[in-house]
Amino acid sequence: MKKKIGIIGLGNPLRHDDGIGLVLLQHLQTKKKNLPKNIEYIDGGTGGMKLLHLLAEFDAVLLIDAVDFKGKPSDARVFSLKDIQSQKKPMILSTHDSDFLNIIRLSKELKELPETLVIFGVQPQDVSHGVGLSKEMEIILGDLYLKVQKEIQNLINNQRR
Amino acid sequence: MSKDFSVHVEHVTRVEGHGNIVLDVKNGKIEKLQWNVVEAPRFFEAMLRGQHYNELRPITSRICGICSIGHSLASLKATEDALDVKITKQTAILRRLAIHAENMQSHILHIGYLVAPDLLGVGSVFPLVGTHPDIVLKIVKLHRLANEMSDLICGRTIHPIRLIVGGFSLIPTEKQLLQLKKRLAEAQDLTKEIAAVIQSVADKLPTFARETEYIGLTSDSEYALYDGVIASTDTGKHPAYRDYKEIINEYIVPQSTAKYAKHARESYMVGALARFNLNSTQLHPIAQEVAHMFGLKPLTYNPFMNTIAQLVEFSHSIEDSLILIDLLLDQGIKSEKPVKPVLKAGRGVGIVEVPRGILLHDYTLNSKGYCTKANCIIPTNQNHANIQLDMEKLVPEILTKTPKEIELMLEMLVRAYDPCISCSTHYLDVIFI
Repeated sequence: MKKKIGIIGLGNPLRHDDGIGLVLLQHLQTKKKNLPKNIEYIDGGTGGMKLLHLLAEFDAVLLIDAVDFKGKPSDARVFSLKDIQSQKKPMILSTHDSDFLNIIRLSKELKELPETLVIFGVQPQDVSHGVGLSKEMEIILGDLYLKVQKEIQNLINNQRR
Repeated sequence: MSKDFSVHVEHVTRVEGHGNIVLDVKNGKIEKLQWNVVEAPRFFEAMLRGQHYNELRPITSRICGICSIGHSLASLKATEDALDVKITKQTAILRRLAIHAENMQSHILHIGYLVAPDLLGVGSVFPLVGTHPDIVLKIVKLHRLANEMSDLICGRTIHPIRLIVGGFSLIPTEKQLLQLKKRLAEAQDLTKEIAAVIQSVADKLPTFARETEYIGLTSDSEYALYDGVIASTDTGKHPAYRDYKEIINEYIVPQSTAKYAKHARESYMVGALARFNLNSTQLHPIAQEVAHMFGLKPLTYNPFMNTIAQLVEFSHSIEDSLILIDLLLDQGIKSEKPVKPVLKAGRGVGIVEVPRGILLHDYTLNSKGYCTKANCIIPTNQNHANIQLDMEKLVPEILTKTPKEIELMLEMLVRAYDPCISCSTHYLDVIFI
């Protein structure tokens, strides 16, 4: 049986770049035809306990989210679960992530954590209140889209091994 | 302990929204004790003016991320009341299932994630995973089931999409209902196990009591959640539902951005304990058993027992859902077109019981079906005055305790009400000076 893969966009579209995860998810959903059918695309909203329930449904998950990793605005970085857990100081995952590590921990304790969990993080420029991405983010959107597609392909290839 | 101290809690955690507790004690006397609601007003009623009747439900759903199903149902009932829409028997059953799903979702979240940490002596649900993994697993399973039931009946866990004026845009299949039935039956055992755990630490619930009035819906035919008439433990039934302002007298206080409310006394309480106090004889057998486990009997005047009343209602919602699903399966679930309203100018009032208590929507529509006036009365607003008066009775009784203990007890009191502060524009902070 093919493994279930979840692509989960997270973020708050009312806080400018914080909604980048959802913008990328929407792009992916419109190009759905070109991607394998065992993949589900989910708007995870601002996470929280909802994320716990979502994680339980999949063998492999790619989370797309705005992540403050102190990089250059609109830079993208891929984190594994190990990367995040090994941090001495937990990184700030945008505006909605206060319980993110706890959710992961809870999921693990409940033995529901997907075998593979990858986070595609994008450094936001502006997370103040307001609709729409910042200019910096808009310009780079095409590149980000290609990068996230590549990560999805990596995830699919790894599941086949 | 020093005779001069203060407790300032800004903002109380494990409640929805922002509220502060302020307590100043000088020479052993209480100088100031306030439950402050500090969240910004949200002006939903103003947003409804000028909107078409089909838009009222999706907009008011957004008042609350926890009670979005309840707001949707109150909104639909108000709209349908204004437009003389009579829903079908099947719609009435499905809407009752929707309200049970939300009641279960909200109650288990409050019991398991927000109150259990107080009873088990930890700061939040996360440390509980380490100390009590079995309980957390059961709570998560029940919460997940309630979420999925909401998904199935309403199309989404939060902010339903299938609930529309006159009926449903999509209904579950027979197969889906059979699956839900099986899972609900299994959930009843889990609920009993959780009740046993809560019972083992129930001595942590303070034995405080203060006589007050309890208000909620009541019905001759069922434990009222979706439908009924307004009733009070002081004054009985009030069937004239459009005259609800004779019962719910809202007023403004300086320390709060949310309105307060009163009726026969200085304050009243709404929510699971109010419903239990009004309608406990109509609970199904397992719910009665759970109430018996905790010695919960009407009239219970201890607000901390609201959490236990929620546990009782959780059981009742499972039992009632099983009966409702059987009814649907017996009569055969079928696709129905929503009942179409005939446009006319008029006023409609919709009242339902949501997890935190009685909720009212009141709309006036013009002849083209556009809203010209709206009023929404939220349960937590109706509880603020009762919280304040509970604090005023509780604090003198516990003044010998340490400020830390007093603070925890006041926070627990507020949490017992399961307030939804953003909804009422509601919240808790304790400030000890």
